[in-house]
Amino acid sequence: MLILSRKVGEAIVIDNEITVRVLEVKGGQIKLGVEAPGRVRVHREEVYRCILEENRRAALEAPADPAALADTLAGAIWQGAGEGGLLSGMVSKVGDKDSGES
Amino acid sequence: MAEVMQGNRTRKADAVNVGDGDIAACCKVMTRRFGEIEVEPEQVIRMVSPVLGFPESRRFVLRQHGPGSVFLWLQSLENADLAFVVVRAGQVDVDYNPPLAEADRRELGLTAGQVPEFLLILTLKRTEKLKITANLLGPVALNTEKRLAKQVLLDPAHYDIALPLE
Repeated sequence: MLILSRKVGEAIVIDNEITVRVLEVKGGQIKLGVEAPGRVRVHREEVYRCILEENRRAALEAPADPAALADTLAGAIWQGAGEGGLLSGMVSKVGDKDSGES
Repeated sequence: MAEVMQGNRTRKADAVNVGDGDIAACCKVMTRRFGEIEVEPEQVIRMVSPVLGFPESRRFVLRQHGPGSVFLWLQSLENADLAFVVVRAGQVDVDYNPPLAEADRRELGLTAGQVPEFLLILTLKRTEKLKITANLLGPVALNTEKRLAKQVLLDPAHYDIALPLE
């Protein structure tokens, strides 16, 4: 890891186009200003990690047997849920033969 | 046994190539939950950047869970084991319409004024009874016309990562 010391007002430049400047140091907090082209997305690390972990959990907890997903519950949550709307062309419909529901 | 494995691997490799230049015909892909599924090229959704934590999966298909069900399965074509249970965001919150960064819009190939579809990834927690939460913080934004998608990261001050559905 590259470690650099900076004072308030000083900055580092990454790849000639991203500037990270120390704007303020107060208490235990440092305020950073990031200047970057529009295509560069900047996120707080914890948001990134939080979503990554939730994704892993979602993948892990997705029932191995799709039939185990309680549709009765879903019916209670979302009344009158329609067909896929914008998505309809993209979604594989479940044929009658492989669904045990009526 | 080794031969069977080989067979699966070959099929998966085929799936990876589907739609790379929109030239591929339909093919069969092996999945853990649904067995072998038919994939039509016009159903393949390409992740322009990966779902966080799953960089190897760039192509998915959406499958309806059951007739009339609001649940959809977002099934990876590269990883037979990987499928997310998702729901259209409008089913959870009709007003859900998070702002997208210009960079995200460009990456998704959205034209001016085009509204993407948002899919929410659901997490099923099986404690005493089934609890379902929806991830509103990192939805999958989908350009339905071009079938390009990506998971976008929103502001945690405004969006919940695990909104209980009940």
